[in-house]
Amino acid sequence: MSYFAPPQPTPASDDGVIVRVEGVSKKFCRSLKRSLWYGVQDVAGALNPFGSPRPGGGDPSDGTADVGARIPALRPDEFWAVQNVSFELRRGECLGLIGHNGAGKSTLLKVLNGLIPPDTGRITLKGRVAALIELNAGFNPILSGRENIFNQAALLGFSKQETLKKFDAIVEFAEIGDFLDMPVQNYSSGMRVRLGFAVAAQMEPDVLIIDEVLAVGDVAFRFKCLNAIGELMKSAAVIFVTHTMPQVFHVCSDLAVLDHGRVTYHGRNLAQGVGLYLSLLQGSAALVTGSGAVSFRGLELATPNAANASLGETLHLPHGASLRLRARLLVAPGLRKARLQFLLWNAEMLPVMDVMAADLKGYVFDVPAAGELEITATIPRVELNAGKYMVSLIAISEDQMNVLCRHDNAAFVQVAAATASGAHVLAAAEWSLAVLPP
Amino acid sequence: MATDTRRPQSAELAVRVIIPHSGLDGFQYALKSLWRDLPQARELAWRFFLRDTRASHRQSLLGYLWIVLPPLVNSLVWVLLNKSDVIRIDSGAVPYPVFVLAGTVLWSAFNGAIMASLGVVGEARGVLSKVNFPHEALVYSALIKSLVDAIIPVVLLVPALWIYHVPLHATALLFPVALLGTLVLGLAIGLILVPIAALYSDVGRAAQLALRFGFFVTPVIFPLPAAGLARTLMALNPLTPLLVSGRSWLVGSGEAMPQAFTCVFAAAIVLTAVGLLFFKVALPHLIERLSA
Repeated sequence: MSYFAPPQPTPASDDGVIVRVEGVSKKFCRSLKRSLWYGVQDVAGALNPFGSPRPGGGDPSDGTADVGARIPALRPDEFWAVQNVSFELRRGECLGLIGHNGAGKSTLLKVLNGLIPPDTGRITLKGRVAALIELNAGFNPILSGRENIFNQAALLGFSKQETLKKFDAIVEFAEIGDFLDMPVQNYSSGMRVRLGFAVAAQMEPDVLIIDEVLAVGDVAFRFKCLNAIGELMKSAAVIFVTHTMPQVFHVCSDLAVLDHGRVTYHGRNLAQGVGLYLSLLQGSAALVTGSGAVSFRGLELATPNAANASLGETLHLPHGASLRLRARLLVAPGLRKARLQFLLWNAEMLPVMDVMAADLKGYVFDVPAAGELEITATIPRVELNAGKYMVSLIAISEDQMNVLCRHDNAAFVQVAAATASGAHVLAAAEWSLAVLPP
Repeated sequence: MATDTRRPQSAELAVRVIIPHSGLDGFQYALKSLWRDLPQARELAWRFFLRDTRASHRQSLLGYLWIVLPPLVNSLVWVLLNKSDVIRIDSGAVPYPVFVLAGTVLWSAFNGAIMASLGVVGEARGVLSKVNFPHEALVYSALIKSLVDAIIPVVLLVPALWIYHVPLHATALLFPVALLGTLVLGLAIGLILVPIAALYSDVGRAAQLALRFGFFVTPVIFPLPAAGLARTLMALNPLTPLLVSGRSWLVGSGEAMPQAFTCVFAAAIVLTAVGLLFFKVALPHLIERLSA
């Protein structure tokens, strides 16, 4: 059975679908020399007016054999950068596309934007398509901001009259006032992106494609952009690529997780999709730093009803369960007291939980004359949301001035929770109800 | 689901379908898009042209003078070589400076058109892989650029004709047609080569080399030989009838080849149209390789 479904004929009924993507695949080539030669072959094939559709083929052993759909065979060094992607979007819906670097997100966007032809499948787009991919791609550095506004607008399909009408709004949005007649090469990178976004934001698209444009610019401008995108989204179907998970929860209604070109999750349960994506991330290698006065000899994570995890292992923890962290350490002679704390990081490398003593500092312990120490910390309820967390052990001097030993990515905690929340902590509170007298 | 009532209902919207094209189907699609996007592409081409000229001249002191300087200096070299008897070229009744300048102006139009059209994909590489716009605008813009670069040096001919007392003939009115002919021929050759030139830098380099060689197998700085191997070689060169006729028409004497001229001109126009269509069909495949 082929992984590729043959493209289905488009239903005649108009059910409000603005973007329909059916079985889209795209292959790429790893080697540049071969890629160029395949380019010549593809061009020659495309320029042959009597050429048949690209030949079917594929390898039966890996399940890509041709079963009637027109699936081109993979040539040496080729791979499927995007494989059999299908989805539908209506006005007001926003599909978040997440996946690790090289998962095929940008390739899919390029195919959707009509920049490069798909190898299989069919994309139906209704209305004006706007792509915020690289906002300052068309800028000429020598020319002034004013001239570049007109050039960029023309590139995006505005007529000169339209641009003149929108010119003030563009300048105002970009906040470049005094620098309007300065060459763009002297703009700061933030200003350039602002200008690019300001022009693009003037489009009134029916389909909006956004590729990580919000990764640049300062916080204030990012907010402004998010608001502008929010406005555009009200009347458009949006496809949104991001690496920032809070943005997914902020703007997306649907989510697709891409892994090696395939959609491994597609649905409306954002938390589940994000969790799947985060679990795909490779655990980082352990990293040991510090003065060396303390060295860690072992770590054990434990929770009731699950197997313990030691150094480098992952503990599976249901939401709300207790967590016991136990470290074994050896202290160099001469040190009388030290402090120990544990730190939990989420998959986006944000610290989410610091395990400390009651005084909100590291746990202070006395160092014996000889022998190893075993220190245990117990957290009665771990209310972190689902996801993978990295555990760091940190030993510091009593005055908190020196790091004696720091062991990052020492072990991992995988929290499971059945909810669609994007928050970091799921607090199961005690609730009460009081009916007030009228 | 938010539905904005000010917007047209989805049923009225223009529908774009993206599928893998092949064979005749691909050509049909390209033709349709060329026609549909013509207004936008025209406006965009003009903006590209303004952008490139402004940007390139803003960074120079001599500015637009650079369009006339190369053909002028090039002609001067040959005039001096001929005057100092290093080479001896008999340009017949026509003073050699006028002869060589007219030839050079026609040759630069051809040369400029080839180089401008060969470079369209390489120069726009950054935009091509990020923004979707009617790509043929790049070709139209190259056409405008080569037209301007071809017409401006013609002003050199006016004082030259006057200084050397070459009387104006009615046939001089045909000179612009010859100029356009050389330009269109250059454009046709460039467009046919550009799909491969975009992938392999060899094509651009080979073209430069071929043009240097071509300069001497085209009667630019010397008249068409009356007979012999050189004549046969040059007669096979499609540029020869355009250049020789154009120059003869301007100065009112010398050999003109109206039949060959018409054939080559017509072929060049057809080839340019075919080249544009090829460009449109091939470009998405090229962008894929540029951005891969």
